Amino acid sequence: MAEPRSPVSASVPHTPMVLPTPEGPTLEMDPMEYTLRKRLPRKLPKRRNDVYVNMKTDFKAQLARCQKLLDAHREICIHGLGLAINRAINIALQLQTSSQGALQLAANTSTVELIDDLEPEDPDEAGEPLTRTRNNSAIHIKVFYPNP
Amino acid sequence: MTGAKDRMREKKMKNQPRNVIYTSSGRGTEGGQGSQACGWVRGHQPGGHSYSQDLPKHITASFFARARAAEVNAMLKAVGKPAGSCHIFNALPKHMRRRAMSHNTKRLPRRLREGAERLAERSQRAPEKEKKQLAKSRSRRARRRHGNLLLEFNRRQRKNKWLETHIWHAKRFHMLKTWSYCLPLKPTAKSFRASYRAMNTHALLQDLSYYCCLELQGSEEQMLRALARLTSKQTGPTFAAASCLSGARQGSVHLYKADQFPQGSLGPADFLWRPRVPDASDRQLWIWIHPALRQDVLSELQLVCQCFEAVSISEESCPAVEPYAGRKRKRDEDDAEQLSKRLLGNGTRPAGTAVRWHSSDTAITISDLTMEIVRYRLIGPLAHTVLTDTLRPASEEMEVTKPSNHSTDEVDTSVHQQQADIFQLLRGVGSTAELPAGCVLGLTVDDPRLTLPQKRGKSVPDLQQSAEDSRVRDLTLRGVAAHCSQSTLWDASVRDRVTHNRPSEQELNRMRSELLVPGSRLSAAAQAGVPVLLVHQGGRVRGEERLHWGSGWDLMLPKGWGMAFWVPLVYRGVRVGGLHMSVKASQFTGQPHFPHDYPDCPAGQRFQSEQEAELLEKFKRRPPSKRTNYIKHGCLAPFRCPWQQLTEEWEELVNLSAETTSDCGTGPSDFAVLRSLKALRQLSAWCRPSSRRNSFPLTRATAAALRQECGRSLVWVRLRLLGKGQPALHATVCVPTTSDLQLLLKDAHSSGPQEPRHKDHLKHLRRHTSGPEEPACAVRGVWPPPLPSVLSHCSRLTLGWVQQGDFSLAAGHGEALAFISVSGLLHMILQQPQEQRGVVLLRNPSSLQYRYARISIDI
Repeated sequence: MAEPRSPVSASVPHTPMVLPTPEGPTLEMDPMEYTLRKRLPRKLPKRRNDVYVNMKTDFKAQLARCQKLLDAHREICIHGLGLAINRAINIALQLQTSSQGALQLAANTSTVELIDDLEPEDPDEAGEPLTRTRNNSAIHIKVFYPNP
Repeated sequence: MTGAKDRMREKKMKNQPRNVIYTSSGRGTEGGQGSQACGWVRGHQPGGHSYSQDLPKHITASFFARARAAEVNAMLKAVGKPAGSCHIFNALPKHMRRRAMSHNTKRLPRRLREGAERLAERSQRAPEKEKKQLAKSRSRRARRRHGNLLLEFNRRQRKNKWLETHIWHAKRFHMLKTWSYCLPLKPTAKSFRASYRAMNTHALLQDLSYYCCLELQGSEEQMLRALARLTSKQTGPTFAAASCLSGARQGSVHLYKADQFPQGSLGPADFLWRPRVPDASDRQLWIWIHPALRQDVLSELQLVCQCFEAVSISEESCPAVEPYAGRKRKRDEDDAEQLSKRLLGNGTRPAGTAVRWHSSDTAITISDLTMEIVRYRLIGPLAHTVLTDTLRPASEEMEVTKPSNHSTDEVDTSVHQQQADIFQLLRGVGSTAELPAGCVLGLTVDDPRLTLPQKRGKSVPDLQQSAEDSRVRDLTLRGVAAHCSQSTLWDASVRDRVTHNRPSEQELNRMRSELLVPGSRLSAAAQAGVPVLLVHQGGRVRGEERLHWGSGWDLMLPKGWGMAFWVPLVYRGVRVGGLHMSVKASQFTGQPHFPHDYPDCPAGQRFQSEQEAELLEKFKRRPPSKRTNYIKHGCLAPFRCPWQQLTEEWEELVNLSAETTSDCGTGPSDFAVLRSLKALRQLSAWCRPSSRRNSFPLTRATAAALRQECGRSLVWVRLRLLGKGQPALHATVCVPTTSDLQLLLKDAHSSGPQEPRHKDHLKHLRRHTSGPEEPACAVRGVWPPPLPSVLSHCSRLTLGWVQQGDFSLAAGHGEALAFISVSGLLHMILQQPQEQRGVVLLRNPSSLQYRYARISIDI
């Protein structure tokens, strides 16, 4: 899976809460500062022939590992998340060209939920630690030698 | 030389003259002809007297003989009395002596028989004066009987306490005696990489029962008010953090002396609140601290809570009475067991020390729970799999574990049921890192020895489990609810009962032998459940790389159940680590390890002095020609880092260059480690090469403001080597010059500048002083104190020193963790171009090569 990029440690302004008062103008609370921390995505159970692709490892190294696994098992599954989707597709296509068309590809996409922890600046005053979830796309490419 | 050799020599030489001096009275007028009896002494004397007296050209025989008469007499006397051998046996020629004649006088010829008998009698009578009375030790078998072994163990534990798993560790680990405990250091087998792999992919187990636990009981506001004086909000969450106050999370905090932030730092601590019980108003708090800190923190707590009256005193828990040797075995067994029961917990505490203090004004009670609770730590992504394999929630809630004053049973069982459900859900989690850090789960489990597998195996994650996806997702999102963190482990009465009712190994084996089908599982009936607490550890939470590495679970048990849980855990294929591995684990997570990396705490300073003595000892053990000459390498502090001197010199340098007459010098005199999160965030943003988000732009004004606030501080940084190089302990971190940075720009793989070799001035000094051998402080090759200017001794300015450095297996290149001076850091980054901000030079103490490295401050 792709490693999440560097966590944004900046002020994420909390939407100012508007308190209606019986008369007069509405009050606004000060925006609280938060630090965002990303959590690792959920790791699916990994069989021998699952390969998770990321942007940090060298491209040639990942390609070589996929090639070795393909020689050992008859099929492998390449997973990529976010920016690594491009790289996963790249690897799969390169494997196909280097096998002179003997390989077949089957690609599926999915949505992965990523969780972020918001740590407030003043931890004593906040209530429960907030978590924010967002969605990201992932691709799963099955590369296999078709059975004749 | 041993005593026996000395005695033998004495015996042989007792008739020989020691000192032969011719004290001639009247012959002094004979003058120079050979009568110069220059006190000839035997053997090499330390005075080094040489024999170089002027030899006479000719001698007169009679004078010579008279001068030498004394020596001749002595020689004749010595020759005449053979020492060390009996004259009886020497009267017989050698070929007629026999061995048996020494104890059987009848074997001697008759003329020698009486003499031999007299000798034998004399030797019988003499021994009281001469011979030592050897204590008659018991036979090995008697010494190794079970009861006596336990007594022996209890005696050995008086000086250094043993953990419950001591014997298991002692067979497989090198042990170390520190902080009044005997702790496992490293396995005897070579297993560094295997332990790293275990921490990375499977699980590593450690026994952390030596961590001291202090319990506070009282009303919440009183406790919070008292504890607020010991912490500061600027360093992060305090005891009052809302998520921890409910009891659902464990928190960690840095303790200071009362009201003395930012000086007076004591050390880090973990704390855990007990979840609120509906009808009780009192709350309980556990504070876990390192044993080196214990005395300091305890006195501070007493001061702050005003608890000075000792309420309960520890009694002598184990009477050291020896069972009578002559009793019959059958009657002996139970008595012997009770008499010499193995010491559990802190039974070696001297009787009469206070264990509990109460305060009348604040109504807070402090109890010292050292060694009452056993704590095991599992590190690794599959830690939860190991736990779900080993532990089994109790099938029915046994009466023993329920606290006696609890009224509603239905609520209790439902909580137990919920806890068991959450425990089952853990199987579906992919990795321990997915759970929120610090969540707490209370549980009541069966005795894990009942489900001990026949053979050792390795826990593997369950690939099929994904049935209850939504509930697992809830667990990872929100963690464990506060009411499920409740456990009866918090009650002292329950703990004592559970410890007392533990079935021994003997009983279990008897039950196993009575099974109808050998090898089948033992039923859990009639065995009470054991209350445990599972606390999640977050691992690496700061920084950007390898987040959540090293996450795991802590397992807390009542005392006495240590080995019952240890062996089943080991049978699930975990690796076991010691102190060395916990230092490495904190190194991989980038956190400072207590007490190695806390130079501003008193325990840290004590540790540094000990470490310095150890390193110096090791250095001196090597032969002088094979030692590194640190003077020639320009390394001023290979064994101990002079932080105070460094911070002072940077202040001076900065004041000089800025030409301000600021009175930073009148600030706090001691250095401190910067822990305020706001300042750390600013520095972290400034150390990065290019920050798109310029919320804290770096200008001279802002830098000066920060320096004013915390100029005399050190900051904990992580260094990443850009190319080759393996940092070592106490490597120097230096400021690169502009030419160095340009070199790096031109060639990204350049090795870096070299330091010219220094001259060893002290070598010449030492030649001239001829006197007794080196005084204690001057070791050849090491700068003696007082040190010259630390800052500008080498060609590059010194920023700080590395505390932990190694080739990082996780990162794939050298990584180091160091303390550097804040004013130095600011001075450096102000001068560096934008893209190369944060590049420094690193030099090992025994090398002249500088290596490029990049700084990052993890927040």
